[in-house]
Amino acid sequence: MDRCTGLLAGLLGRSARLLPAARREWAEAVLAEMGEVPAGSARVAWLCGGLWLVAREIVTVRWVIRALAFAAGAVGLVWIGWPGASSNSATPLNRVYVTGTVVALAVLPWAVRRRFGPVHGGWAPRAARVGGYAMVLALIAAKAVKDRYGSKLGAYFVIVPEFWVLEIVLLLVIVGYVAGLLILTSQHVRLTRWGLPVGIGFGAATAGVLYGLAPFGVNVDPNGPSLKWWGVAALALPVATGLLVGRLAARDTRPAVLTPEKGALQGCLAASCATATAALLVAVLTSITIALFPHQVPLEGTPAAGGGPGAGYIAGGGCETCDPVNTVIPPSLRHEYWVEISVGQAGIVPLAFLLFAPFVGAGLGAFAGGFANRSRGTRGRAGGGPHAASPPAPVQPLGHLRASDADREQAIGVLKAAFAQGRLTKGEFDARVGHVFTSETCADLAGLTADIPPG
Amino acid sequence: MARRSGFSAQTLSVLASLEADPTAWRHGYLLATETRLRSGTLYPILIRLAERGLVEACWEDGQPAGRPPRHLYRLSSDGLALARAALAEQARLNHRRAAIAGRAGGRRVAARGA
Repeated sequence: MDRCTGLLAGLLGRSARLLPAARREWAEAVLAEMGEVPAGSARVAWLCGGLWLVAREIVTVRWVIRALAFAAGAVGLVWIGWPGASSNSATPLNRVYVTGTVVALAVLPWAVRRRFGPVHGGWAPRAARVGGYAMVLALIAAKAVKDRYGSKLGAYFVIVPEFWVLEIVLLLVIVGYVAGLLILTSQHVRLTRWGLPVGIGFGAATAGVLYGLAPFGVNVDPNGPSLKWWGVAALALPVATGLLVGRLAARDTRPAVLTPEKGALQGCLAASCATATAALLVAVLTSITIALFPHQVPLEGTPAAGGGPGAGYIAGGGCETCDPVNTVIPPSLRHEYWVEISVGQAGIVPLAFLLFAPFVGAGLGAFAGGFANRSRGTRGRAGGGPHAASPPAPVQPLGHLRASDADREQAIGVLKAAFAQGRLTKGEFDARVGHVFTSETCADLAGLTADIPPG
Repeated sequence: MARRSGFSAQTLSVLASLEADPTAWRHGYLLATETRLRSGTLYPILIRLAERGLVEACWEDGQPAGRPPRHLYRLSSDGLALARAALAEQARLNHRRAAIAGRAGGRRVAARGA
């Protein structure tokens, strides 16, 4: 019994350290009272109550919630994406994907935090991180299911080294997306107000249109307009995002926002965010659609005019030359092979888009953002052009007035209260107090406390 | 109806225990024995009351011999007023419930007698 109480007391003391300071002392109080409780079962029950208290309080701690959510997502991914032993040739590939993604998702936040600081304050960066993680987990899971279906005839789908290289590059691209997401939403990268919501919102809207046009990532109607032209039309996305965010950045007077040439830089960041969102979302949606409805995937190519299963097979896969081991598919399997190869090929185009979409976005966005910034500088606010009606950055009345020390004290008071209430992390609090001292106008100060509810 | 004050029965028992001697500082185990609550129930109640400013908490001064310093609690002035109101309300409800039960019991007796 003594050993049991000792063990429980040790456990309680350790676990209490995980709680925030304001809650820790309550767990310590339970521990301090332990000596009063009669030894034996009463003392064990007392300590168990203390552990229950810690368990209740710990689920309100943010990082615990995050860790639990991530663990649930990772377990779900392994559940779906980890194949059992089989002749399916996608098996080793899926294992590499699942392991690589889970490790990257777990390690990257830590690495990014060291270099770029913790997550930026406010709702948008947090929501973007949660959403981005969910997207990546869903993409890998759907891709695993799709690839498994697309290579059931494992003996005829030998994975050649070139294919491995392609897949590893794609995995690295996805890891790059996660890193980009974490960096863009971290504290040291100061996107202008509304930069992130505008980028993600525009990207998501574009993704919705593109997905609606080709739910399987291929032309459903061979006589319809080619997907290529829709892809070209989608280039309007980074341009529009860059123009709008460049203009928003020009209005943003906070010293914290990146200067100089902030229009170009902000446009570049927001537009690459928009194109990346669009590409990722299209890839996720098409992969999920293919994984759920593999039988509805349009078969690649059309049976040649001559007809016959052989003709259909050659038009569909044309793989009699690219398959080094089995060049001859038995006629009875040819239709199945055709279906599987179509499923495997479908959705490749959206995945390939992942590779270069952010770079296209960054380049076009930088041009557009720089242009918006410059045109605003020469024409002034009145000559706003078509984008003047866009959602304006919240402007505080009299915000242009110079701030006094009393104003700064007041802002620090608000930040202190928010920190005491657990609304701000220590890092965010320190960073904001630092900005308070460098702020020049009342609008700057208001921006630093804008996301803190009054009282 | 029974919980018009918004406090649970357990919270009311904690308030009653603290209100019995509002100037004294009490430690957690004393409250637990008086209210017959388990630590896993008592402490969440104390946390909630302390966060609403109804209970003051502090660590015992000095280094008592042979045991760690205790965490002590008492009602704040707001807490005392609220506790008295809630307990009075509870007493009134209990009284009325007893009266209704007594009347109903009396009627049942009368019905049986008829």
